[in-house]
Amino acid sequence: MPSRTGSHSPAGTGKSLPERGLLLLMVLVLLEGSVLPLGAASSPDISHQKNVDNHKVEHEKNYTKKAFPVLDLDYHHIQTPFEISLWVLLASVMKLGFHMIPRLPGIVPESCLLITVGLLVGGLIKLAGEKVPPVLDSQLFFLCLLPPIILDAGYFLPIRPFMENLGTILMFAVVGTLWNAFFIGGLLYAVCQIQPANPSELHQLEILPCLLFGSIISAVDPVAVLAVFEEIHINELLHILVFGESLLNDAVTVVLYHLFEEYSAAGTVTVLDGFLGIISFLVVSLGGILVGAIYGILTAFTSRFTSHTRVIEPLFVFVYSYMAYLSAEMFHLSGIMALIACGAVMRPYVEANISHKSHTTIKYFLKMWSSVSETLIFIFLGVATVDGPHHWNWTFVTVTVILCLVSRVIGVVGLTCVINKFRIVKLTTKDQFIVAYGGMRGAIAFSLGFLLKKEQFPMREMFLTAIITVIFFTVFVQGMTIKPLVELLAVKKKQEAKRSINEEIHTQFLDHLLTGIEDICGHYGHHHWKDKLNRFNKKYVKKCLIAGERSKEPQLIAFYHKMEMKQAIDLVESGGGVNLPSAVPSTVSMQNIQPKKPPPAKPVEKALPKMTKGREEEIRQILRSNLQKTRQRLRSYNRHTLVADPYEDGFSELLIKKQKMIELEKKIQHMNNYLTVPAAPPDSPTMCRARLASDPQAYSSKPAADRVPTIQVDLASPQSPDSVNLMDEFRRADQQEEDQGLMMKPPSGQSGPNRPREEDRGREQQKMTRCLSDPGPSADEEEEDEPFLP
Amino acid sequence: AVGPKGIFRVIERSEQWSVGELEPEDFGAIRELSMNPIGDRIISAFFSPGKETVDFASFVRILAHFHPTETSRSRDGVQPEPANSRTRKLKFAFQLYDQDRDGKISREELLQVLRTMLEMQVTEEQLQSIAERAIQEADLDQDDAISFDEFRKVRGVDLIRDQIDNWEY
Repeated sequence: MPSRTGSHSPAGTGKSLPERGLLLLMVLVLLEGSVLPLGAASSPDISHQKNVDNHKVEHEKNYTKKAFPVLDLDYHHIQTPFEISLWVLLASVMKLGFHMIPRLPGIVPESCLLITVGLLVGGLIKLAGEKVPPVLDSQLFFLCLLPPIILDAGYFLPIRPFMENLGTILMFAVVGTLWNAFFIGGLLYAVCQIQPANPSELHQLEILPCLLFGSIISAVDPVAVLAVFEEIHINELLHILVFGESLLNDAVTVVLYHLFEEYSAAGTVTVLDGFLGIISFLVVSLGGILVGAIYGILTAFTSRFTSHTRVIEPLFVFVYSYMAYLSAEMFHLSGIMALIACGAVMRPYVEANISHKSHTTIKYFLKMWSSVSETLIFIFLGVATVDGPHHWNWTFVTVTVILCLVSRVIGVVGLTCVINKFRIVKLTTKDQFIVAYGGMRGAIAFSLGFLLKKEQFPMREMFLTAIITVIFFTVFVQGMTIKPLVELLAVKKKQEAKRSINEEIHTQFLDHLLTGIEDICGHYGHHHWKDKLNRFNKKYVKKCLIAGERSKEPQLIAFYHKMEMKQAIDLVESGGGVNLPSAVPSTVSMQNIQPKKPPPAKPVEKALPKMTKGREEEIRQILRSNLQKTRQRLRSYNRHTLVADPYEDGFSELLIKKQKMIELEKKIQHMNNYLTVPAAPPDSPTMCRARLASDPQAYSSKPAADRVPTIQVDLASPQSPDSVNLMDEFRRADQQEEDQGLMMKPPSGQSGPNRPREEDRGREQQKMTRCLSDPGPSADEEEEDEPFLP
Repeated sequence: AVGPKGIFRVIERSEQWSVGELEPEDFGAIRELSMNPIGDRIISAFFSPGKETVDFASFVRILAHFHPTETSRSRDGVQPEPANSRTRKLKFAFQLYDQDRDGKISREELLQVLRTMLEMQVTEEQLQSIAERAIQEADLDQDDAISFDEFRKVRGVDLIRDQIDNWEY
């Protein structure tokens, strides 16, 4: 629909941005609503077409020549994918729109807005007289919309806080949900029986359907919790408590749902059934985790061998996880727990094996899919509300809502009293309030209700209405008010700070310390087993699942490398290029400086003094001319090569340079003050080699450490042939790197006639090697504006 | 926390050893402790500088550091305020880093700790850079060492406090 793309033109002059955005939204929503009737309208065309064809076939003699259809509308042909895409597009544009409206995202959580949009769209569709796509009842929800969200949650689950609070989480998830289900179900039944005067339909409600309803509505929904908690930035403990509970209660919900559904036909549940239910619960949850763990290990193992086909690495992660989910669902085990287990188990090993790019891909794909899924779920919730058969019964609905709240509060408070006996860091009243208030219901409850069969449950519509009311209540009322309440109660917020290296060191140190103390006292506690698990992991598991060198890499080093990479990326993005410290006082001579602790044989880092203007121009000229040459050569195109990312390729250079610059600036300030220099930063080539070697990306085969391009300029002579030195460095590096196949070609500065020849040879080799799979760094990078010189 | 149960276990073990006093070798008999990278540091923490043996009272006194803050009964007459107890715990941990007891974790001491924890799996340069970075992050007064106050202020040491508190018998 060409008009759509037209309306996507960037907002510019004229109206201000938010208004324009709103206008866009209106237009799009109207278009959306109008497309579906259009779809319906076009089908008569098809039937008409078919008739014509039939006529054509049967009465060949009476073939009347029609004009050849130059332009034909065949909507039916593409209907399903088109509508799916339309929905996804609508969802995404809505998301865009919300953030353009000023102040709104702060007040109303996104989920509310999305449901409202869903209501609007559903209303439009109903007005158009069309049938709403039955999304929330079919397998589409459970098979397509839910897994991405859960996988995203599981893959990025913060393991340490989760494990530390596992007891609490399990208590809330299992005992809390059970309590909720029975309390709500039981009391509802009691209330239903009360009405003596009017022979209302409520009397027909048996105990088992009530309990079934209770079990459906008692489960805290991960999607809703995620949607709301993400925006309030609450402290990690509370977040993991509520979120963990919402994930782990899936097993309970599955068991209860199936139990009551099965037996509500029979009408009674015996003790044996209850006992079987408990066993079933254990099977469902542990089985789900086992399935997930198996698939996680498979993924980790597969990722060990992907060093030559980096392009499909993310695919393994996604497909294996999805299969874990499907396998668990096949056996009626808890698919959610399988996904969580799979993501959590595979993550440390996969991340050690895959390339940096794949890691980024996985991260962003997961975020993208889960975001779209979440949006779609809320929109469909709104649509289904408008559409679904409703049966409003004041008593039932209000009692349900009240009971939900009451049971949640009682459950949380009661459980906390028990839990606090076992916790050192106790849950305060504020914490309890947030946990209770954060228990939101969502689309899972609705879908489970939708899946009920009408024949078995004549009260299905009443259930659905009540479920929707509860969902609306929790999402709108609780979702909107939780943020002000958090502010009001001054609940501790999330620390935005990233983990520092100190934290890592001290945490590990303390683990060892506490393990040691435990050993002294002969007490086999928490730390002891954790230590044993770590040892086992290091000794056996890592060797199997992680490729090559990295299997021996200690956690601290891996963490350190990650931090360095992150810092380098941040520096490049913020600084916008290598910033040479131009204010280096050239009078400072290194001879005056005594290092405090003489480090064992390190190259002394020195600053790059300022280059003269003329020299700079010369260098620019040379670069430009050689870059132009590059452009004219034809390259073979191969779909499988990943084009280099300019930021990422100059990485090791920038990393080294940046670090040196920063540390050097500090040192120079020191020097100015104290005339002493602490030990030189250990950015020696060996360090760089170690750093690079730890990245399994093919910055491969650097045979000798000293060939890594290092900037070594003599500070004492500021007017030294510095630019030539730089060139020399890279020339040297280039020379050696030519012999190797896959390599990184640094942004080469060239001077002198002999350069082009070497360069050509280098390019030839690169041309050949480009056809191999990723490692990305290719000669293409030279076409991009490498921030080599200021 | 060293509750009554813990003390009984300790007594059980110490009964095998020489009466009344413990020596470093006795600690060495604990197998898991020898596998622990910082095992010797922990052992030496029990012995006051210069002394070769530790008597039972001092032993338990040190273990009392790991009692949860709220119910800790201080044996030294120091008031059992939460801040103080926490401070004592942190001080204990700090002293494990600071072997020469000069009140600062110097770069060398940090390097030693890293070396023992990483168990020779890394190159010297890597260690140096990590130590460098750690000191950069923590060192507020630019004296190239981490004092106790800087140690406490390090982002993440609060987590250690919580960890110490969370540690239960």
